[in-house]
Order: sequence, then structure tokens, then C-alpha cells
Amino acid sequence: METLSDELIMQKVSEGNLDLLKVLFDRHHKHVYNFLYKMSGDHMLAEDLTQDVFYKLIKYRNSYNNGSFLSWMFTIARNSLNTHFTRNHKSHDDIEVLAYKVVEEENDVNENNDHLQYALSQLDPEDRELVILNRFKEIKYDELAEIFGSTPGAVKTRVCRILKKLKNIYLESI
Amino acid sequence: MEKQHVFDEIPDYLDGNLNDAAKTAFEKHVENCNDCQSELEEMKAFLNVLDEDVAPPSNRLKANFEAALEQEKQHQGKVVQLESKSSSNWTGNVLKIAASIALLVASFQMGSLFQQRKADADIAQLQDETNQMKQTAMLSLMENQSASKRIQGVNYIEEFEQPDEAIIQALANRLLKDENDNVRMTAFDALSKFTSSETVKNTFIDALGNEKNPSIQVALIQALVQIQEKKAAEPMKKLLEKEDTQPFIKEQIKAVLPTLT
Repeated sequence: METLSDELIMQKVSEGNLDLLKVLFDRHHKHVYNFLYKMSGDHMLAEDLTQDVFYKLIKYRNSYNNGSFLSWMFTIARNSLNTHFTRNHKSHDDIEVLAYKVVEEENDVNENNDHLQYALSQLDPEDRELVILNRFKEIKYDELAEIFGSTPGAVKTRVCRILKKLKNIYLESI
Repeated sequence: MEKQHVFDEIPDYLDGNLNDAAKTAFEKHVENCNDCQSELEEMKAFLNVLDEDVAPPSNRLKANFEAALEQEKQHQGKVVQLESKSSSNWTGNVLKIAASIALLVASFQMGSLFQQRKADADIAQLQDETNQMKQTAMLSLMENQSASKRIQGVNYIEEFEQPDEAIIQALANRLLKDENDNVRMTAFDALSKFTSSETVKNTFIDALGNEKNPSIQVALIQALVQIQEKKAAEPMKKLLEKEDTQPFIKEQIKAVLPTLT
């Protein structure tokens, strides 16, 4: 079971073997959580949204189109995040400020992380998504291109540009 | 040797995504390029921070997920139950289909019945029109100057099963008034089929008084005797008294008169 690809497992899930979703959950929930936490800077929100993402995997298992599972899962995660922001009538900026405040309050706990969150909050939402997703080893440029509706080459160039920008913001903030 | 900077390769190099050739070229460039070297160091340090694990999510997440999954599995079980339920409803479906077929057939029958009725009415109307046309043709033929046309007109009587009063009257006029013996004879033949009619009986009695042609006289006498018309006795007696009556007619009258009185 451990060696099966995500795609194969998800296919079996969509055919009705719901128990296999546990395997996918164990494999990926930390990635989703990390992504959502880095995007929002809010532990509770990230946890709620991660839960939401996996509920959606259960609910929409029949609409899985046998493409890259990671692309599918992170597309759902991005949509959940967007839906959350829209539903709460808060733009990304508001959340960023809020996130930054939260980060400021926890200053003593993890300074590196605070600066990183600040630097991330300075990016465009989509740039931030792209760079965070890029840092997960499992996600290749092909899948990023699929998620963002672009080509692998363009994504690669963009990721490099954003990483450089992010690094500079981060280093300046220290 | 001054080459283009390799900034864009740095993340891939650090992630180990470069192939051997690209990696060698990258390292060779970085050795000789201070800009790229410092960039590489900065990026390496930064990526370490960026990749640093955040605090793991609480166990609540996994517990909630598994609870939701269990619920979904039960729901899935329910769905299966519903499916089996619907399959046991097989007879119900068959009944529904049978009912719809019956409805279809019934409405088709009703439709064709109404169609039939309408067609029947149409045909009756057509028949009626044809009869009227025949009648008109017959009546006008009987007024024709040519004797043979008049006979043809009289013979049209065979086209009618139940001739109406106008036709009977027209035929009676032929029998009483036509100057041609053959027309009168044919008219008599035609009328002799309808001796149950009172008009026909009276016509025969009148004709017996007027008729000069012996063969028609004989036919009239025979017809009147056959229907046992009492009123015919009077004109027969008159015929006996007439001088120009043929002797064999008189004999015949004498023979049949007792049966009438």
C-alpha cells in the first residue's frame, strides 16, 4: 500500500474504497497544512482549512479526473483559501496584516518564522502560493504549471524570480 | 572566462534538481563568480528558513478527518441500501411501464374510434349526397322526351333500396300518364316491388281504369289480386262492362274477381 502512487490510490478511492483516503491523508495533510499556514499565518485557520480540503476530497472523490493528485489537492486547497477570504469579506491584505500582527505577538517564540511570515506577506497572493507550493519536494514544475494554468518553463522562471525577491525581503527584515 | 550569471539555477541546484552536466557547469561558474557565490549562500540560508517545518497540526485534525470519513462510509452504505431497495421495486417499475403502455393503447383506441365515427359520418353524408344526385338524375331522365331515356330513368329505381315518396310519385305519373307502352310497363315493373305502399296500390287501381294496353292490364290485374286489394274490384267490373276490353282480359277478370270479393 505504501508504494502505490497517489493517483492510483485516489482512483481506488473514487471507485468506493474510502479507507484508502487515510493513506492519502497521512501522506499529505502536513503539506496542505504547511501551505495553508504559510499562506495565512494562522494555525487555527490552517487547521480548519486543511480539514475542509480533506472533506472536499471525500465529497468530490467522484470528480477526480485521474490527473496529478497533488495538483488536484492543492487546487482544492487554494480554492478553499480563496473561498474563506471571500466569505469573510476580507481581502488578502487584511489577512496579511492580521497574520503579521499575530506573528509580531509571537515574536519570542520563533524569530526566523516571524520574519519569514512578514516577507511572505509582502508578496502578491499568487506569488506567495507559487513559492510556497514550490518548496514542497513532491511538487514538480509540471504540477505547478497545471495548478496555475501555465507552462513548466514559465513557472520555473517565475519561481526563481519570486524566491530571489522573497529572500531579499527576508534578509532586509532581519 | 566570464559567463552569464546562473541565478536562475540556484534553487534547482540547492534542491538537487540539476542533472550532472548542468551541475558541473553551475559549480564551475560559481567558483569564479563572486556575485553568484554570495547569492548561492544567501539563498541556501534563506531556503533553510523557508523549508523549516512549521509546528505540526494538532491531533484534532486527524480525528476530525477520520470521523468525517466514517460518516461518509456510513452514508455510502446507505446509498447501497437505497440501490438494493430500488432493485426490489422492480415489479413496481414493471407495473408503471405496463400502465403507461395501457394508457398509450387506450388513447390510441379512443383516437381511432373517434376517427372511425367521423369517417362513418362522412361516408353516410357522401352516400346521402350520391343518392340525392341519383334521384335528381332519375327524375330528370323520366321527364326526357325520348322514351328509351325515360325507361332508363325508371330503371334507376334499382339503385334505391328505400325510394322516397317523390320517386314513387314520379314512377306513378309514368305509369298513369306516359304515352309509351314500354315506359308504362317498366314503371309498373318498378312499382310492383313496392306494393306495400298505399300510393302504389292506389296508382295501380287508377291505372287499371285508364290502361288500354292488354298486357299491362293483365299484369295490373295479377298484381292487384296478389296483394288482395279489395278496392280493385270496382274498376275490374267496369272493365268487364267496357266493349273495347279484350276478351281474354274479361275472362281473366271473371276468373280472379271471386277471390277479391
